[in-house]
Formats: sequence, C-alpha cells, structure tokens
Amino acid sequence: MRFRVIHRSQLLDFVELLRREYEVLAPFRGRGRDTYFDTVTDANRADIQLHVSNPQYPPKRYVLPHIERLMTLKREDGTLRIQPTLDTPKRALFGIRSCDVAGIYHLDRFYLGRDYRDGYYAERRRNLLLVNVVCTDPEVDIDDSCFCVCADTGPAAREHFDLQLMDLGDELMVVAGSAAGEAFLADPLFRAGSQAHIELRRQILSDVRKRFKKTTSWFAATVRYVSQDKILDKTWEEIGNRCLECGGCTYVCPACTCFTVTDRAISPTEVERVRLWDACALNGFTRMAGGFNPRRAVHDRRNRRFFRKLAHYFIQRELTMACVGCGRCADVCHGEVGMPTVVEMIRRATAAEDRNPSLIAQGTS
Amino acid sequence: MILGPTTSNHPHRDTDPSRASPGGFAPEDNIYLPRIAVLDRVVDEIAEVRTFYWHFEDPADQEAFRRFRPGQFAQVSLFGTGEFPASLPPSPTEHETFFTIRQVGSCTGALHQLKPGDRFGVRGPYGNGFPMEAYRGKNLVFVAGGIGLIPLRSCIVYALAHRHEYQRIQIFYGAKTPRELMYRPNLAEWESAAGVECHLTVDRGAEDWTGHVGVVGSLFRKPGVEIPVENTIAFVCGPPVMFRFVIKDLSALGFSERNIVSTLERYMKCGVGKCGHCCIGVAYVCVDGPVFSYEQIKRLGEDI
Ligand SMILES: Cc1cc2nc3c(=O)[nH]c(=O)nc-3n(C[C@H](O)[C@H](O)[C@H](O)COP(=O)(O)OP(=O)(O)OC[C@H]3O[C@@H](n4cnc5c(N)ncnc54)[C@H](O)[C@@H]3O)c2cc1C
Ligand code: SF4
Ligand code: FES
Repeated sequence: MRFRVIHRSQLLDFVELLRREYEVLAPFRGRGRDTYFDTVTDANRADIQLHVSNPQYPPKRYVLPHIERLMTLKREDGTLRIQPTLDTPKRALFGIRSCDVAGIYHLDRFYLGRDYRDGYYAERRRNLLLVNVVCTDPEVDIDDSCFCVCADTGPAAREHFDLQLMDLGDELMVVAGSAAGEAFLADPLFRAGSQAHIELRRQILSDVRKRFKKTTSWFAATVRYVSQDKILDKTWEEIGNRCLECGGCTYVCPACTCFTVTDRAISPTEVERVRLWDACALNGFTRMAGGFNPRRAVHDRRNRRFFRKLAHYFIQRELTMACVGCGRCADVCHGEVGMPTVVEMIRRATAAEDRNPSLIAQGTS
Repeated sequence: MILGPTTSNHPHRDTDPSRASPGGFAPEDNIYLPRIAVLDRVVDEIAEVRTFYWHFEDPADQEAFRRFRPGQFAQVSLFGTGEFPASLPPSPTEHETFFTIRQVGSCTGALHQLKPGDRFGVRGPYGNGFPMEAYRGKNLVFVAGGIGLIPLRSCIVYALAHRHEYQRIQIFYGAKTPRELMYRPNLAEWESAAGVECHLTVDRGAEDWTGHVGVVGSLFRKPGVEIPVENTIAFVCGPPVMFRFVIKDLSALGFSERNIVSTLERYMKCGVGKCGHCCIGVAYVCVDGPVFSYEQIKRLGEDI
C-alpha cells in the first residue's frame, strides 16, 4: 500500500494547497445537529470539521445540482435560438464520506454509462476532486442509521476517490486513488509513513467496525428476494402504507438519479430550461396516458424506489448499487421506512415465510 | 477551530478565472439540446389531431435525423411550454418528416397554435423502434385502433417500400366513426394497392359508410379474411381496451406472445434513459422501448 502521512497541525495547509487550484467545499457545523458542505473561505476555514455527522443534504449536488439550468431558448423576429448553458468551477470536495464516494461512483455509472452520456454531469464530474475522509470517530462520524459496512462502501472507501485521509491520532494517513490525487502527494507537506501507520490503520478500522452493531448482513439476501420476486404483496403493501409520499428520502439520497425538466420565463422573449431533482414517490411522477393504475403492489409508486434500488437487474445493469448505506433516508423518513427498515421488514417477512411456506402460494403472483 | 492553525497563507482564489473550466462541451455531445425545426404545413387529420410537416433549419441535422427506424420517437420543444415525446409516423423511406399530434394539453396545444414558418425544437430519434430487418421473410399483420395508427404508419410504409422482403402484409384498422379514420390518402392507397390487404372498420357507421361496422377484432372473423399464424408478426397499437381485446383474439388464433409487438406510452421527460419518469418494472421505456413484445410487456408486470 503506497501512502503518505501528514501531521494534524498541517491539515489547513493542505486545504490551502487545494484552494490554489480549486474552490474547496468542506463540512461545517450549523445550528443544533445540522451539518452542511460549504465553500471554504478565509473567514470560515478554521471551522472545517474533520469529524462530523454526515450532512443530510448530500454532496451529490456538486455533480447534479438540485436545480440546474441546461439551456436558454430565445424567440425573436420569427427565429428561435437555443443556447446551452454550463458553469462548472473546478471544485475539491474535502471530507466527503466513503458512502458518498460510492454514491458519486454510482452516479458516474448511471449518467456516463449506458446508452447516453450526460455532458452536463460529465463536465461537473471532470472538474471535481474527491478528498475522502474515513469515518473513524464512532461518536461523531457514525450514527445508528449508518450501514455502509452492510452495503460494502465503508467506513473506508477502497476506490473511486482522488485522495483519502484517515485520522490516526497526531497524524493522518493519506492515500492517493487517482493520478490527480497522486500529484498532490509530491508536496513537502506529506511525508513517508511506516509499517506502524499501517498497523494503526488496521487496528482503528477493526475497532470502528464494531460500532455498526445494529446492522445486519441481510442486504444481499434482500436483493436476492426482491430480484427473485419472492416478496409477498402483503409485505410490499405494508412498506407502501407507511410511506407518506413526501419525497424526502429521494432528496437526501446520494444515489437517487431522477429529475424533471421545466421551462420558466426569464423575459417575454426568453425562457430557461432547468432540471430539478424529482422523486418517484410523488404523485404524477409516472403519469400515464389513459389513467392506467398499476396492478401490483410492487409497482405502487410508494415502493418503486426500493424496488429500483434492490432489483438485481438494475445492479447488474449499472454494476453498482443505487443504495450506498448512508442511512440518510432512515433519518428523514416520517413513516420510518428508510432503507434499513425496509431490509428488516423484508427479513422478518421472509423469515416468517420460511417457517410457514404455505403463504408463498397465496401471496405472490 | 477544528483543523488547527495554518502556517501559510495563500491568496484568496474564489474569483480566479483560471479555475473555471474552458466553456462546456460540444453541442453534439449534449443529449438534451434540441435542434431548430421549421414548420412547413399543417394537415387536419381528425378532430383535435393534425399532422405537422417540418424540416430542420440546418440541413446537417436533417441528414443526421434521417437514420431513424419505424417505431422510434422524438422529443418536441415548444417555446415557453416545454417538451413532449411524439412518435415518428413517417417511414425513413419517405422524404418528408412530420408528426401527427392530438391536442391534449399544454405542449401539444402550443404545437397546434403554430403557423407555417414558425420555429420549434426537435431532438432524437430515440427508442429502440421495431426491428424491421429481423422480420424479413415473415408475414406482417398490423392491427391499429384510433391514433394507434400513428406509430404503425411508419412500419406499414416501410414494409411496403421493402415489399419483396416480407411475405403477406395485412392491415386491420378501426376507428370510432368514419370521420375518425386517419391518414385518408394512405388508407385509399393501401386499400387499392396490390400485395397488401387493408381492412377498415368503425364502431358506429354513418350514412355514407358502406364498409364494415364493429370493433377491430371483428375484422379477423370477416368472411374472406384469413390470418396466417405461423411465421407472422402482429403489430398492435391502440387504446388499452382495444389492445386487451385484440390480444385475446390473437391468442385465440394461436399467436404466441412473443410474436405480438406493441409500443408503450409512458410519461417521459428526457427520452434518453436519465430522468427516470418512464421507468416501469425493470425497464426504461424510452431506451429499452417503446417497442416491446407482449411477452416482455407481461414480464414487466405492466399494462399497456
Ligand atoms: C413514445 C411516445 C410517443 C408518443 N407519440 C405521440 C404521437 O405521435 N402523437 C400524439 O398525439 N401523442 C403522442 N404521445 C403522447 C404525447 O406525448 C402526450 O400527449 C403529450 O406529452 C401531452 O403533453 P401536453 O403538454 O400537451 O399535455 P399535459 O398538459 O402535460 O397533459 C395533458 C394530458 O396528457 C397526459 N400526458 C402528459 N404528458 C404525457 C406524456 N409524455 N406521455 C403520455 N401522456 C402524457 C397527461 O397525463 C394529461 O392527461 C406519445 C407519447 C410517448 C411516450
Ligand atoms: S437509499 Fe437511503 S441509505 Fe441508501 S444511499 Fe439512499 S439515502 Fe442512503
Ligand atoms: S424519459 Fe427520461 S428516463 Fe425515460
């Protein structure tokens, strides 16, 4: 393993190094339990949080803004002019958690792969440097909703970051995950590390993993059940009935991809076309000509998000999973049907099913 | 203070232009960018439905667009109201490009307001389309109800332009009343052309109507009509009720679900597999469809 170390007291120098080239975004503490990513300035840089409970508003917005202008359409003297618009500063995301690194990788697979490549996303992504911080503080970094261990995305990302920092106490271990990251390690701020650092990393990570006591290893099994169509309609209904259709889970999810597009007037002769995050649970998302109603509970819009995330078909298609185990949806859901609960509900139902298999015949199909 | 004091102090760079990326990406790579189209003329089809003939302002766009396949669609942009998906009723073997649009809401309404010479936006073609090459050597049965003839018109014209590649070609088309039969000149042509059987029907007749009266499926039992089942592809497009009945009729004739093909119409925002609006079951209708076999439609767990 090639790595460097940096002394704790020099971390701000590292941030300044990033700021020479990038607009740097980092986690800060707001009021109460609120935390958020914001642009680092001379005024706020001393308040950057190395350890922080992961901001609810996901860093996904730096590659897929909540509201993004795609183009303007101008009508004048019988002509129509359409002008694409894009503004992407070079940005470094300092302190992105491992689950969110996996989230961005999922978005990469989705927006850049498949049939069409999204140029807007591609440009933003090309200009974004990911400086991952490993979650090592069991009190601050990790909360009861986190299940990255289960989703196999954390607490220490293995790839898809440019640089990774891990707090070892007085020093931090720095690992490069890309050529862009590697280039930074040439700076004299970083020094060679020793075998002792690797030992310490291993020790800390093994301690941290114990913090995830609530997680189960049922994630993979759930994917299997969903994909094999083994979930009873009854269970889907139970999940659906707890959904209040607020769309909150989608807005905090680092791996949700859906958007809507709308035109709004800038002047009498000009409109802007913007895309905005959208949520599949919201009424009207999949309006269909002819007022068609889905027949089966699994197609109920309140279940669609879970199906979309857990169906093996999509995981295979994107080669990554649309849930990275960040636990945000569990924190925001009023109906208490975040992803961990859904996995648990499916586990319980399926366990009951195994005890009394006759139900299978009655429930599915 | 969380990170501790800094020992150096770099100048503030937030306003440094060198940090901005060199302006965007090429328009060809912009999957959401419509090209400018000019409306040439408008033809009334039936109540609320008109055909809009158009061409791209830039001949290069026109040339690129010509590679579409029957069954594909385009995204149409109207200034100030937005975008909507529309099938491509022309066949790539024809020279004109046009849409046939029913006025149902804001975007379709705005298109209906346009006058010849007016500009709008078009991007595409999108979707899988019907695999017409794969159907070579087969019998083709087209079953359309109402405006379901819009996407099928493309396949029919295409098949007739490649007549020698297919075996028997039959068209069954039904509308509510004689006044609601679309593409009149084409219907007349298909009814009289050699090498194609064209059967029309209406749910309710009229004084000047001498043709068949009854639902589309009743044409299958009309004296003299004989539908080959072996080596045949049945194209079925129309309103959901018609679709369900026709599927029953075709199944009764012995058609396998694999040999019945149709198009799914779902709410679409992007047309390129990104926005998620058209996602049903495990398919994104805009890129995996809109053409599906009935076997696939059933597997998606969806209705037409
Ligand atoms: C692949 C595809 C091909 C189509 N081809 C044609 C065609 O050739 N000719 C034609 O007349 N229509 C076609 N449609 C339907 C057409 O896209 C809708 O009628 C149109 O989007 C309505 O937009 P609007 O702004 O006028 O209506 P709105 O004001 O948005 O709504 C009016 C009504 O139309 C429904 N609707 C809105 N948007 C859509 C949509 N994208 N898809 C389905 N229903 C919608 C709404 O539920 C509502 O009932 C096609 C749809 C798809 C998905
Ligand atoms: S589904 Fe929930 S836990 Fe999974 S990535 Fe999205 S917000 Fe996080
Ligand atoms: S229409 Fe956007 S994903 Fe299909």
